[in-house]
Amino acid sequence: MTGRHAPDHLIAGYADGSLPDADAWSLEMHLESCASCAGRVSRAVRATAAGPVLADLREAVLADLGQAVLADFGRRAPAAAPPAPAVVPSPLRAPRLLWAVAPAVRGAWLPAVLLVALGAVLLAHAAGFSAARPLLLAVAPVVPVAGVALSYGRHADPLHELAASTPSAGLRLALVRTAVVLAVSLPLLTVAGAVVPSSGAPGAAAWLLPGLTLTLAALALGGRLGLRAATAVTGGGWLCAVLAPVLAAPDGAVSRHLSDQLSRYVGGGAAQGGWAAAAVLCAALLAARRTAYDRLERH
Amino acid sequence: MTTIQVAGLHVRHRRTVALDSLDLCFGRGVHGLLGPNGAGKTSLIRVLATVAAPTGGRVRMLGEDIADPRGRTEVRRRLGYLPQDFGYYPGFTVREFVAYMAWLKEVPAAQIPAAVERAVARVGLAERIDAKLRTLSGGMVRRVGIAQAVVNDPAVLLLDEPTAGLDPEQRVEFRELLRELGASATVLVSTHLVEDVAAACTEVTLIAGGRLAYRGTPEALTALGAASDGVGDHPIERGYTAALRAHREVAAR
Repeated sequence: MTGRHAPDHLIAGYADGSLPDADAWSLEMHLESCASCAGRVSRAVRATAAGPVLADLREAVLADLGQAVLADFGRRAPAAAPPAPAVVPSPLRAPRLLWAVAPAVRGAWLPAVLLVALGAVLLAHAAGFSAARPLLLAVAPVVPVAGVALSYGRHADPLHELAASTPSAGLRLALVRTAVVLAVSLPLLTVAGAVVPSSGAPGAAAWLLPGLTLTLAALALGGRLGLRAATAVTGGGWLCAVLAPVLAAPDGAVSRHLSDQLSRYVGGGAAQGGWAAAAVLCAALLAARRTAYDRLERH
Repeated sequence: MTTIQVAGLHVRHRRTVALDSLDLCFGRGVHGLLGPNGAGKTSLIRVLATVAAPTGGRVRMLGEDIADPRGRTEVRRRLGYLPQDFGYYPGFTVREFVAYMAWLKEVPAAQIPAAVERAVARVGLAERIDAKLRTLSGGMVRRVGIAQAVVNDPAVLLLDEPTAGLDPEQRVEFRELLRELGASATVLVSTHLVEDVAAACTEVTLIAGGRLAYRGTPEALTALGAASDGVGDHPIERGYTAALRAHREVAAR
């Protein structure tokens, strides 16, 4: 290979101008077709006294030709090296990112949350339904749990096969999406609860801890059962515990029974303390079994 | 250098055995994965993509054991995967979709916009980068799938039937891209199209019935076809059928 390239002494002679004309011409012929020797020559020339002069000249030429040359270069450049555009627009706008991180928000879940919240307000104020607050408190903890079921996994996310092969897969992605679900559902349902009359039920915020605990419980169980089964167990369990005694009650005073039942489960410091302890326990379980999420699918 | 080492790999879907004690090694280059339908190609690729857990055996990739969660995360950062069928959000543009995948793959946020443009240009979709996915043809969606697979400059690239739905010209361009990617990465391509293998692959791995049936260069497989009486129109197709027949004769014994 070296036999085909110009020897160092020729290049040094060319750079300092001491090379005889005939040799210089033949070297120039070679440089037209040999990028590696051309590079060596330009390095050698830059190292001589002419270097700074050349650098100035180069800058002046570039400034003169300016954008025209660059644009022309851009058109001629091979596809492998596309010119970087001056400003690359940000690929993900904020609302898109929200959609992307929370498949539940894109589907039927968001309309369901709005329906529950608005439905409670309309029932209480327009229809004069007295049990709006207790009913809302009974249903609200199930809403984020359902959102979790619709957030992660093959059944919920069309992108799951691809997402599962990325480092974000597993509990991390499930938690990011759960956070979006909570961020949407907690304020909406709590505000809705606050604007309906209490009718003897606990405060509008009383469901927050139970809702969080059930969500964490669903996530902790999800590592073992799969998210769909886990959310069915936790959400269904809560609904049974709250509604079954009410429906089994002999007289028809559903509203009062529901309020009593809810007061027992979520009213007062002791009940809330219990939910808080359960939330901590579920979070600890989830942390201990975090790798179970990494690969929900087994053959 | 070996980047993928598979030892005694066993995959079972309920009662059917998809892969049966498979031992394989792959290094840098483009590896064609051939085999009849149901041979276990997709099962192998899904295990290597860390999407499915094997029933038995060990897999080491890029020096990490993928059964270990930490090693698996490490591998996933340097992985590109195109499944046979992949779901997407139809309302996303090509740019948004590839950027979201880059985000999931933990490409640094500052590099994502340029990496997305580059990946999309590599599959020849630069003009449609802001088109919604639902407006694209099947072949274009396939190319978007290839773009998301290469957006993080993966060291291991797993492509399951990447040329399905591409027209002949696109397939020629895609083979060119494969050769380019194979220079720096380990690329594993499962395909039904034996000519793809002849044109773009440095090595052929033929699996049948969950077992390794043949390994060699495309040239060796072509020579095998010339030497024996395999069926096919193309010399390498004859090699494919001859190798498959030889494997079945040994397995039946």
